Amino acid sequence: MTTASLAIPLLRPRRRFRLGTVGWAGVALLVALTATAALAPSLSPYNPEDTVADPFQSPSRAHPLGTNDIGQDILSELIYGARISLTVGFLAAAMAVGIGTLVGIAAGYLGGWVDTVLMRAVDLVLVIPFLPLMILLAAYLGPSFWNIIIVIGLLVWARPSRVIRAQVLSVKCLDYVEAALALGSPARRIMVRHILPAVLPLALAQFILAASSAILIEAALSFLGLGDPTAKSWGSVLYYAQVRNAFLSGAWVWWVVPPGLLITATTLAFAFTGYSLEEVLNPTVRGRRHAAAR
Amino acid sequence: MWRFVAGKSAQYLLVLALTVALNFMLPRMMPGSPMVFLAGEDVGFLTQEQRAQLYALHGLDQPRWKQFVTYAANLARGQLGYSFQRGRPIAAMIGERLPWTFLLVGLGLVLATIIGVALGALAAWRRGSAVDLGTLGVAMLFESVPSFWLGMVLIAVFAAGLGWLPIFGAGTAGVSLHGWANLVDRARHLVLPLSTLVLITIPGVFLIMRYSMLSVLGEGYIATARAKGVAEAVVLRRHAVRNALLPVATVSMLNLGFIVGGATVIETVFSYPGIGRLLYEAVLNRDYPVIQGTFLIITVSVIAANLLCDLLYPLIDPRVRHA
Repeated sequence: MTTASLAIPLLRPRRRFRLGTVGWAGVALLVALTATAALAPSLSPYNPEDTVADPFQSPSRAHPLGTNDIGQDILSELIYGARISLTVGFLAAAMAVGIGTLVGIAAGYLGGWVDTVLMRAVDLVLVIPFLPLMILLAAYLGPSFWNIIIVIGLLVWARPSRVIRAQVLSVKCLDYVEAALALGSPARRIMVRHILPAVLPLALAQFILAASSAILIEAALSFLGLGDPTAKSWGSVLYYAQVRNAFLSGAWVWWVVPPGLLITATTLAFAFTGYSLEEVLNPTVRGRRHAAAR
Repeated sequence: MWRFVAGKSAQYLLVLALTVALNFMLPRMMPGSPMVFLAGEDVGFLTQEQRAQLYALHGLDQPRWKQFVTYAANLARGQLGYSFQRGRPIAAMIGERLPWTFLLVGLGLVLATIIGVALGALAAWRRGSAVDLGTLGVAMLFESVPSFWLGMVLIAVFAAGLGWLPIFGAGTAGVSLHGWANLVDRARHLVLPLSTLVLITIPGVFLIMRYSMLSVLGEGYIATARAKGVAEAVVLRRHAVRNALLPVATVSMLNLGFIVGGATVIETVFSYPGIGRLLYEAVLNRDYPVIQGTFLIITVSVIAANLLCDLLYPLIDPRVRHA
């Protein structure tokens, strides 16, 4: 699933596309974060892997957020950390929503026993305690960049698939789908040519919401020492801060607070964008809101 | 109603079966010898004889289905195996930790539900007001905060900084307290981890309650109640809140797994001796049998709690009772 194919339905919207202040705030924040991640080498004052000063330095002009336990510049670590957090978020979300869309379309369009089996599977995934399962899988698969993405992707697809299935059920009854059916199009062709484009905008909203939870989960796994040991993510900065007891000294103000705020801001930015998109794109959510407003 | 419970039970049994199967398969599916995962990383230093012994103990020389039967039979007897880090039975290790987690998660769930429901009802009742938008904003903020980070900040401020509360553990180490003093000591250790858990759990309850209240307030019977002159406070309490609670119960149930996961991370930050902390220690030590045993028990607890909620649900929703 490429971003181009996701963008097409958005470029020619049927309705007027209103995201609202909250939505645009989220988008702006996301753009800023993505730009930071992309421009990390030119933005960050030091190479985050280099020991550039004495360890445990307080903030100074040279190191605005001080240095960590091995003398690396914390600000540079955080700027580079945006790359890992966003990449993991996007890739894991892409995987989750890819699976979710596939399952949602199959369940919604084919119905019958396929629907029953797939939706029971969704229920099962939702009951299992999520983080402990991830810890189990991450412990077995070993800490690595791709393992984290795969583990998150394999476990986050359930919610998107439910939402997309609901949308498929309503699209299925539309005239053009019935027309295609009457013309004798095979089910696979209808699903790919008619159903998929209709649910893609909603899948985009789900993608953004999934990215929001993926970033939080990556942070938690990295914090538990189950992240990629060679990658500097915001979660792993906090892991070392915890291991070195930074929160027991004054160092927490510049070592613990900033990475946490960045994780919160990123998650919030994704959530704002995702919820606003969902509200614009999902007629059922909007309908219910209006009913409530009577 | 019994059909509903039976259907749910079948679903939970399936989850349980999958968990057991996953636990059985994982060490045997990994590249390399399953011995590393069953006996520990010292396996390289074992003599040929010791290896053969371990092989026989886990039945690795037998066909896989027979291995599974042995494994399942052991589980059914409550035999979770031994920690290869400490050589202790895993069931006993978990037994020691479980009460602490039940205390933390149980209290957290009750407090978060009460506060979340109250705030959600209030926000919906005053829809669009400063109170509504303010609580909504704060709820979304706390939904995006990483739990472990919130815990670290609370420790830094209230324990390390102000010195009001202890930094870690579930009780003061090295002193034996009794009666009231002991209780106070335990409670003081519980305050920060519990606050962290409650703060990150409230937003989910709040958002559902607010949403559910908004749709209930749009219903005809609310207008009817008002039209016939029922006092606003009574409409709020009897007509609106009571009906809006149903989705909250359902969603809380679904969220239980997430809350337990949140507790895992929080216990780690506070070195709180619950089962989540045990899981973390096992991961640090690469103590695979303990990781598996802990995961299994966490899953069983979540399933049991879900089943309990399903059985209690008809009490709050009569429609299910008659269905």
